Amino acid sequence: MTAAARFRGVIDKARPSPEWIADLRRRFPTEPEIDRVLTRKMERRSGPGFTPLPLERLVQGVTSLLKAELADPFEIVDARWLSGGASKLQMAFTLHWNAPGPDGVRTPQKTPMVLRMEPAESIVETSRQREFQLIRAMRGVVPVPPVYWCDADGAHLPYPALIYGFAEGVTKPTTAHSGVTGLGTHLPIDLRAQLAPQFVAHLAAIHTVDFRGRGLDAFAVPAAGSTDCALWGVNWWERVWEEDSDEDIPLVRLCAAWLRANLPVLDRPVVVHADYRLGNFLFTEHDARISAWLDWELGRIGDRHQDLAWTTSQAFGHLAEDGKTFLTCGLLPESAFLAAYEEASGLGVNAKSVHWYKVYNAYMMATLLFGTGYRVARGGKTHQDVLVTWLMGIGSMLLDEMRTLIEEAP
Amino acid sequence: MQMRPAIQIQSIVKAMTDVVLPALDPANKLAQEQARLVIGLLGLMASQLPTQFAFDCDELERLLAFSHELQNHAHGGAETAAAVTALAEAAAEAGRVLDGARSSPAEVEAAVRALRSLSGDVITQVHVDGEAAARAAVQAAVLRMSKAQLLRDRAAMLPQGWEPDPAAIPPLASLLGTAD
Repeated sequence: MTAAARFRGVIDKARPSPEWIADLRRRFPTEPEIDRVLTRKMERRSGPGFTPLPLERLVQGVTSLLKAELADPFEIVDARWLSGGASKLQMAFTLHWNAPGPDGVRTPQKTPMVLRMEPAESIVETSRQREFQLIRAMRGVVPVPPVYWCDADGAHLPYPALIYGFAEGVTKPTTAHSGVTGLGTHLPIDLRAQLAPQFVAHLAAIHTVDFRGRGLDAFAVPAAGSTDCALWGVNWWERVWEEDSDEDIPLVRLCAAWLRANLPVLDRPVVVHADYRLGNFLFTEHDARISAWLDWELGRIGDRHQDLAWTTSQAFGHLAEDGKTFLTCGLLPESAFLAAYEEASGLGVNAKSVHWYKVYNAYMMATLLFGTGYRVARGGKTHQDVLVTWLMGIGSMLLDEMRTLIEEAP
Repeated sequence: MQMRPAIQIQSIVKAMTDVVLPALDPANKLAQEQARLVIGLLGLMASQLPTQFAFDCDELERLLAFSHELQNHAHGGAETAAAVTALAEAAAEAGRVLDGARSSPAEVEAAVRALRSLSGDVITQVHVDGEAAARAAVQAAVLRMSKAQLLRDRAAMLPQGWEPDPAAIPPLASLLGTAD
């Protein structure tokens, strides 16, 4: 085969061969748990799409899981679907059970819970094991819902899932309007003033907690003083682009090369939430208190600049009433946010690293929207392919932002 | 453009079939019937889309041959001659259009996909074993081409309402040169 013919070769991504999967794993080394999840996705790709599941099937799965976990009798009541988000199925229910108290003594309780389960393939393929471990590790650091059980491989449920406690609160004022996935929410001024200090303090707490000894064995720890963290991230998303994309995008190819040519050195590994923004926390309206941080599925041990770049994205904020001041996540001006973060965390902010992670985040989003979004909808793999397809339309704006970021790189 | 009608229609049909239709009141016969008609028409649209252009070209070619036959056969008075002249003018224009449409939309799309993919390979490889000057020149070319293309991509998605300042994006028809 000539070199030119090699480039023209066609790969059937809907029915990936074991050889191609192995080649991708070799070319794009990632954290072991990420590799496991992506490999599992590819090995199952040629299987059936997602078909609607009756609630009874999920109740059966939860029953099976709890029988394996609990010695005492229990009852699942009031099972119902929850909406929200574009990536996972959620079922709320109440568990009547003998719950352990702080002293270990079990007493009869009625606990509201949520089952969070993957579809056949998700717009973002992540590990329930990592999500479970990370939420559990953040208990006592920032408000998080309690997590109870994890079916990491779908041994009991149709697909991998976890069960966590139902947290009280709302993602936006009950009178506010916003778009899908909580984007475009505008908060009243007094509410902003109450939420903003908590928003900053919680991010600082996440970034400064000692993650060692907190049961995070599904995470690899990149070495300080190296570019491992950034490289693992680029490998992760370039692998996903190769696995999922249909129509190629020259700018995305350039972006991957640019990221590799400009890898930042990690100064200090920290817990990274990876989707820290308005819309991903709950607050109680009567006292404006943040009651739970959600959506930890992309979290990793990595570089705090990834969160800072994500949180300050233009997509998650809006202009203040003066029509000039841009508010980070609709809460406070970016300069005030970064200054407050530095003070609360004691950690510096490297503008060049923030810029690199803005490009990285744009690369990840382009991969998810154009690559994975197309692939899962084409395969009929989710419970809301129509939403995934709709979201593809925002991708061009995001690519244009990526283009500008590369042009303006320091 | 990744977000083509085929994938949009497939997703809509799945949402209608899996979610909307089962949620409709069984007693609302009109809603039940119209939901099924929506699914049916979308399915028809999906099946017609790939061949719509070929269908029109095929018809145009037949009509062109037919018009030549008519011109040969339609002898008569001044009114007939005037009508034949008008038909001949239209046929000449149609012939030019047909010549220009010899490549099907599917072939154009395939060529776009090939150039996207193979130029992507060049971009990746020049960053592996290319010289610094070549990498810089390639980067500049990619950014320049992407700027022009993304403006059109964003214009095509304007109806979705994502753009914070829609007035800053020119209408797609003007960018494509098809505006009246």
